[in-house]
Amino acid sequence: MKKIIYILIGLLVIALNKPLLAKTDLPGLVRSGQYSKGTLLSISQPDAIKQSLDAVYSVGTYPLYTPELVPGEGRDIIQGYCNLCHSVTYITMQPPLPAATWEDEVYKMINTYGALIPEDETRQVIAYLQAHYTPETRRQ
Amino acid sequence: MQEKESGEMSRRFLLKTLGGGAALLGLIKLPSALAQVSGQAIQQMPSFTGPDANPYWGAVGTFVIYPQKLPLIQLTDRPVQLETPRHYFLTPFTPNAAFYVRWHLEGIPNAVNLSEWRLFVEGHVEKALALTMSDLMKRFKSISIAAVNQCSGNSRSRFQPRVPGAQWGNGAMGNALFTGVRLKDLLDAAGVKTGSLQVQFEGLEKGRGLKDSVSYRYLKSLNLNDPVINETIVAYEMNGEPLPMLNGFPVRLVVPGKFSTYWTKSLTWIRVLTEPDTNFWMTKTYCVPDTSRGNTTPKDVKDGWVKLIPVGTMPVRSFIITPDGSGKIPVEMSVTVRGITFSGDGRVVKVEFSEDDGTTWINARLGEDYGRYSFRTWEATWIPKRTGSYILAVRATDEKGNTQPDEGVWNPKGYLWNKIERQEVMVDVAQ
Repeated sequence: MKKIIYILIGLLVIALNKPLLAKTDLPGLVRSGQYSKGTLLSISQPDAIKQSLDAVYSVGTYPLYTPELVPGEGRDIIQGYCNLCHSVTYITMQPPLPAATWEDEVYKMINTYGALIPEDETRQVIAYLQAHYTPETRRQ
Repeated sequence: MQEKESGEMSRRFLLKTLGGGAALLGLIKLPSALAQVSGQAIQQMPSFTGPDANPYWGAVGTFVIYPQKLPLIQLTDRPVQLETPRHYFLTPFTPNAAFYVRWHLEGIPNAVNLSEWRLFVEGHVEKALALTMSDLMKRFKSISIAAVNQCSGNSRSRFQPRVPGAQWGNGAMGNALFTGVRLKDLLDAAGVKTGSLQVQFEGLEKGRGLKDSVSYRYLKSLNLNDPVINETIVAYEMNGEPLPMLNGFPVRLVVPGKFSTYWTKSLTWIRVLTEPDTNFWMTKTYCVPDTSRGNTTPKDVKDGWVKLIPVGTMPVRSFIITPDGSGKIPVEMSVTVRGITFSGDGRVVKVEFSEDDGTTWINARLGEDYGRYSFRTWEATWIPKRTGSYILAVRATDEKGNTQPDEGVWNPKGYLWNKIERQEVMVDVAQ
């Protein structure tokens, strides 16, 4: 029974994020024993890879950590066309770019890199980027 | 809770007033880099920066795990672009597991069979070669060189106005001891025919584009009469280990002093050319204005005044690694300020440290010299005499007399940044 009470007190202390000691107990100590839930999350360590003597030097697959694009009209089209050559981290990584720059970027993908995007869809891709990723419109 | 909120408010306020105000005035002066580690671990960095300059030392992406790598900062996941965190630059050699990663096309090697892989030396040569890894290690003299590999776009997120591209902080660089064979020895073994002009490099990296389109192949070339040809090596070792897959296993080109765009990864074809290589990767991108420091303005670009030439040698740079501003310093404590320096244009001969935002400078001590193309560490003993905020600064000078400028650079692709670096630190009472 005592054990359970201690555990409950412990949990309460953690939950309330209250220091265990009053600040006057130790000279100069202002705060101590403060913990909170790790909102940034922890990173798991990858396990070892199995190797074999077959002349093949290998690593596993490259993980994708692609954030969601902002919901909105045209998002599915972007994800369809842009994802063929690169993930949409190429969009989310950018600083907010002026509307004209986004238009130039989309035409660069088509004219220089050979992206096959029909005209209507091209307009929608540009409109989507301008609606969510300019200095005036970007929120996340 | 109140403390957290006011902290958030003041940071936003700071970013707005410093960044926005400066941009309005056209000053574009970044007072100092915000630390990459922080005194707290609950609140996340913003997920993007801009339209003002990125105020952080590094890029703002999340930490991610990749094969053979420690947690690095993600820029993009396909193709893969990962930045090295600030504190790996306390040592002159960057660990392979922390070395930054930058690919152009999504089809990069996961597995290479060394019983089938060959390094081809072909084109305008007497005798085309197809060399195994064993041939490279045994038939040719091995040579080692410490050399800095830096992305042309390192620190691109400092640009004002911002330019599209990988939004690197300062960590798209690394230094390693590369071991391999001289490119010149391979070319001599194949016999370069007279009338040859350039040598082209291609690796196993391939994109989804149509065959031979720019989004299918990544091709880079060097002039055969460029002195760097004699120093270039085909490296099969990096810091005494095989290359990590993400850094170009089985072999990569090492072009000392030049930006990383020429350091072809998973190098497989060396091709001697009789005509200048005019492919996209040589003439349309990785090009800088043919002006002093590669500097220009958005207006001149728009008006068509700017002649572009391929990016080449890395200008002199230096960095403050610690103190990083994540904690305060007690007044009159003797602090060792540490960092690194390098130049692609000749040995760094002087590093100067300033505690007053670049008003006065003292010479820093240089660490061990691993050769003219290597990172060199520097340190300075600093005893802050008063409390308050300090803007620390560092600037380097190379043997050609190039000193880091206190002005940023601007060009449409975001290359060649080498402005003096700053770090703000707070000094508080000790009694």
